[in-house]
Amino acid sequence: MQLQRTARILPLLAPVHLLILSVIVLPSLYVVWLSLNTSSFGQAPSFVGLQNYWRVLTDPAFHSALLNTVVLVVVAVHLELAVGLGMALLFASGLPFRRFLLVAVLAPYAVSEVTAVVMWRFLFDPDAGPITLALRAFGLPTLDWSFEPSHAMGLIGLLTIWLHLPFTFVIVYAARLAIPGELYEAARIDGATRWQAFRRVTLPLLGPAMLIALLFRYIFAFRLFSEAWLLTKGGPARSTEVVAIYLYQEAFSFNAFGPAAATAWIMVLASLLLAGAYVLLLRRGGISHAH
Amino acid sequence: MSKMPATTLTRRGFIAGAAGTGALLAAGPGLAAGKTLNVLSHKVHQTVLGSGDADLLKEWRKANDAEIAFTTFDSNPLQDRLFREVSLKETEYGVGYLIDNRPTSQIAALFEPLDAYQSKDAIEDFGDIAAGLVQGMTVDGKLIGIPVRHATQGLFYNEALLEEAGISAPPTTLEELIEQAKKTTFTAKAGTPVTGMVLASDLAVFPVMFARAYGGDFVSPDLKLVPNREALESGLAALRGMFESGSLPRSYATTKNDDQVTWLQQGRAAFTVLPFARGAQLNNAEQSKFPGRIKAVEFPGSAAIKGKVPMSSVVEAWAMSIPKNAKDKALAWSFIREVSSKRVTLGMAINGNGPVRVSSYADAGLKAKNPLAEVEAKVLKTARGAFPPFPEAARAQATFLEEVQLAVLGRKPVKDAVSAIIERVKPMMPA
Repeated sequence: MQLQRTARILPLLAPVHLLILSVIVLPSLYVVWLSLNTSSFGQAPSFVGLQNYWRVLTDPAFHSALLNTVVLVVVAVHLELAVGLGMALLFASGLPFRRFLLVAVLAPYAVSEVTAVVMWRFLFDPDAGPITLALRAFGLPTLDWSFEPSHAMGLIGLLTIWLHLPFTFVIVYAARLAIPGELYEAARIDGATRWQAFRRVTLPLLGPAMLIALLFRYIFAFRLFSEAWLLTKGGPARSTEVVAIYLYQEAFSFNAFGPAAATAWIMVLASLLLAGAYVLLLRRGGISHAH
Repeated sequence: MSKMPATTLTRRGFIAGAAGTGALLAAGPGLAAGKTLNVLSHKVHQTVLGSGDADLLKEWRKANDAEIAFTTFDSNPLQDRLFREVSLKETEYGVGYLIDNRPTSQIAALFEPLDAYQSKDAIEDFGDIAAGLVQGMTVDGKLIGIPVRHATQGLFYNEALLEEAGISAPPTTLEELIEQAKKTTFTAKAGTPVTGMVLASDLAVFPVMFARAYGGDFVSPDLKLVPNREALESGLAALRGMFESGSLPRSYATTKNDDQVTWLQQGRAAFTVLPFARGAQLNNAEQSKFPGRIKAVEFPGSAAIKGKVPMSSVVEAWAMSIPKNAKDKALAWSFIREVSSKRVTLGMAINGNGPVRVSSYADAGLKAKNPLAEVEAKVLKTARGAFPPFPEAARAQATFLEEVQLAVLGRKPVKDAVSAIIERVKPMMPA
C-alpha cells in the first residue's frame, strides 16, 4: 500500500529531485573527488588521498582565516540578533511613521553587496570620507581600517550587520507580532513588571524564531566574502582574510583546485559543527522547550 | 462569470505563431555574416580596434564574411576563463588574449604552436615586433602567442604640484624622487592635502621597480629568487621610509590600481607609477583637475646604479593565442595576422594601445597624438616582466606582497621580511 503510494507520488516529485541532484548533489560529489586529487590548468588530476585536507589544515594562513571567520561570525551574528530583537520590540511597541521606518530598516537588504561596500569605502575613506571628516571635526577617534587590522575587522563586522540586519529583524518582528496580546494582559494582571513580561513571555515565545534566524545567519555569515574582499582584499598582509577569501585565492588566483575543494568541504563541516553545537547549547538552555 | 476565455488566443494560433517565430529566429543568422569569430579579451583590446566608421577591421570583416564577437573580462578573470575554455574538449573561442607571465609549460601546451602558421602564412614584417615580447611568448621553444599590446610602467608626476612645492624638474635618481615626494607631501594652495606618492599595494610591480632601482629583483629572468638581497632590502627600506614620512598614504595597504589614477587626477598625489598608456586618461579634461599638467618620465634608478646598469622598468605584455581545441583555427589566424599588421598596430596605438612594433613609434601621427611615445619607446628597450612565468608564480607573488606590506607598514623589520620572502618562496620555485 505504502509502496504503491510512493510509486504514484514519485513521478510528481521527480523534477525537484532531479534538479537537486543536478545542481547540488552531483557538483558536491565532484568537489569531493576534486579534493582528493591534485590538479590545475593543463595538469591531469592525480589522486593524493587526504593530502589536500592535511595541507589546508596545517597551513598557518588557513588557521588565521578560520579564526577571523569565527570571530566575525560569532560577534556579528549575535550583535545583529540583539539589535534586530531590540528593533522588533521597538516597532511592536508602536512607533510614529512606522511604515516609513520599516522601509528604512529593510532598505539595506535591497542594496547589492558590491554597491554597499563601495558606499562604505567612500564614507569611511581614511583621508576624505565624510564620516571620517565628521568624526575628526568633533575630535573623536576615527576608524583607521586601512592600517589597523582590528579596525578593519570592526568595519567588516559593522558592514555585514548593516547588510543582513533586515533578515534577522523581519523574522523576529513577525514572530513578535504573532504573540497574542492576551498573554501580556494576563502577565500584567498577575503583577509582572515589563522586564518580567519580556523574560517570561516575549523571550520564550520568540525563541524558535530567533533560533531559526541565528542558524541561517551562522551559515550565511560563515560564507562571508564580498564585504572583506572588496573592502580590504584580506589585507593588510592577510590579517583580515576569511575562509572564503582563502578558498577564492586557492581556486582562482593560484589555480590549486585540490586544496580549494578541500577548503570548501572543511567550510561545510565547520559551519555544520558550529550550527550543530549552537542548537545543542540552546536545547540544553531550554529555549526550544518554550513552545 | 463569462464563459468566454480570457484571451482569444487559440491552440492552433499559438502553435502557428510559435512555429513562425522559430522559423524567423532560424533564418536570422542567414541574414548576418556567414561566420563568427569569438574572441576572449579585455575590454581595452576591443576598444582600441575602434568601432563604426573607425573600425580598424572593417575590411577584414568584409573580406572574410565574418563577424567578431568579443567576450571581455578584467585581467585575472579573463585568464581564468581562458584557461577553463582551453581545458575543455572543444571551445567556441577562436582567439584568446594571454598575459605574458601566465603561460607555464603546462598551460602553453593547451595552445596552438603558431610557428607553423607563421611559416605558411606569415605576419607582415614579423621582425618589426619587439624581440623581447616575442621571446616572452615563446615557451619550450614554441611560439604560442603573437604580442599585441604592452603596458610599460613610467613615473607620472603632477607638474603643477611640483611647481607649487618649488621643484623645477622631475627626479633623475630614486633618491631625488624620495626627496621630491617628501616635499610634495603638503597642503596645496587649493586646500587639497597632497601625498607625495601613491602606489597600489596588491601588485608586485612597485616593490619590484624599487628593487630594480638598486640593481636587484624579486625573481630574475633565469628564475633566481632574490638575486641581490641587499638591493631588495634597499628598495623595501626606501618604501618603508616613504610610508614613515607620510609620502606614501596611510591607506597604502588598501590602495588599488584605480585609486592611483583618481588620486593623480584629483591632485591628491604628486607622483605615481602607471603604464605610459594611461597618460591620456590622466590628462583627460573631463576627468582630471590637471589636464595637460600630468607628465611622465622613466622611473629613475638609484644614484648607485646610474650610468652603470640600465634601469629595467616593468612591462606587461598581452598576446593573441589560438586554443588547441578551437573550431576554426584558420579564421583565428587570419584575425591575428590582420591585427598584427603595421596598419592596425599603428591604428591601435593612436587609439591608446602600447604598440608592439618598433616602427610604430617612428610615426609622426602617433608622436603628435601621444607626447609620451618617445620616452615609452626608450623605456621599452630595457623593460622586462615583473617576474617570469613558473607554475607557482601567483602564490609566490602573493607571499612576496604579504611580506612587503609587513615591511612597509613597519610590522616587520625589512631584513626579516626579505629573509621571510627567501625562505617562504624558495619551495615554490621550479627545481
